Amino acid sequence: MNISPDEAEEALATIQRMTQKTRHSFASSGAYIFLIITGVVWLVGFLATQFLSGAIVAYIWIGMSLLGSALSILLGTRMGPRVRGPSASASAKRAGIFWLLLIIYGIAAIAIARPADGKQVTMFIILFIMIGQLAMGLLLSFASVWWALPITALALVGYFLLPGIFYLWMGILGGGGMIALALYIRSRW
Amino acid sequence: MAELNETIHQPVRLRIMAVLVALEAADEVDFTYLRDLLDVTDGNLGAHLRKLEEAGYIAVNKTFVGRKPRTFVGATAEGRKVFREHVAALESILKRK
Repeated sequence: MNISPDEAEEALATIQRMTQKTRHSFASSGAYIFLIITGVVWLVGFLATQFLSGAIVAYIWIGMSLLGSALSILLGTRMGPRVRGPSASASAKRAGIFWLLLIIYGIAAIAIARPADGKQVTMFIILFIMIGQLAMGLLLSFASVWWALPITALALVGYFLLPGIFYLWMGILGGGGMIALALYIRSRW
Repeated sequence: MAELNETIHQPVRLRIMAVLVALEAADEVDFTYLRDLLDVTDGNLGAHLRKLEEAGYIAVNKTFVGRKPRTFVGATAEGRKVFREHVAALESILKRK
């Protein structure tokens, strides 16, 4: 079999493109669905915190979180595994243990620091979630790292510069940003 | 010197092998996910997978996840070796340019 150097170059470019697309896709597959769910939970929860008061806010957060978790589990189960095998299941197990430990460390940090108000608790939670996302992105796919940085920056700007509308800021830019990002991932990747 | 592989060089099969070799050894990908990733039809993908399976370059496993039948596809050790040789042959052609 003989081919020209141009054909060889084209074939190598195709291989490189597919390898990149595959790694990118595996790292982000299904991520947009969970981003939309988290985005909606944040949007509704933070808007309720900004505009409502009393026990109803806690009920809305608990309700939205339970609904989001149930939807995530349902959709995750329905989608099923896209890649299976020793390395895929080992990665999933490590990711699960990592997030579990991060939650425990987060609770410990909040218990020690004893945040003065809801905004500080919110910032602790956001920072821990974004640290987790950054770690996952750096380990699994560098391409999925970048979105945790602007959300962290937005949260810090809201906390330090706009304390009066912090929850509104987080609801619209944090929650809405996740939904917009999910739609972008869906359309581009 | 590494030689070009005619079975693998066909454009769709080249892309299939590129995807499967990008996985870790012994990992397999779901048929429908592979179809979407390559943007081909079920029939087209099935035909090319048969060719690669007949050549011993991939393994196709039909199984059930819950109650749903699922097909998983992975590159064999032979498939990975042949693909590496094919890439080396392409690179050597390019060097002679």
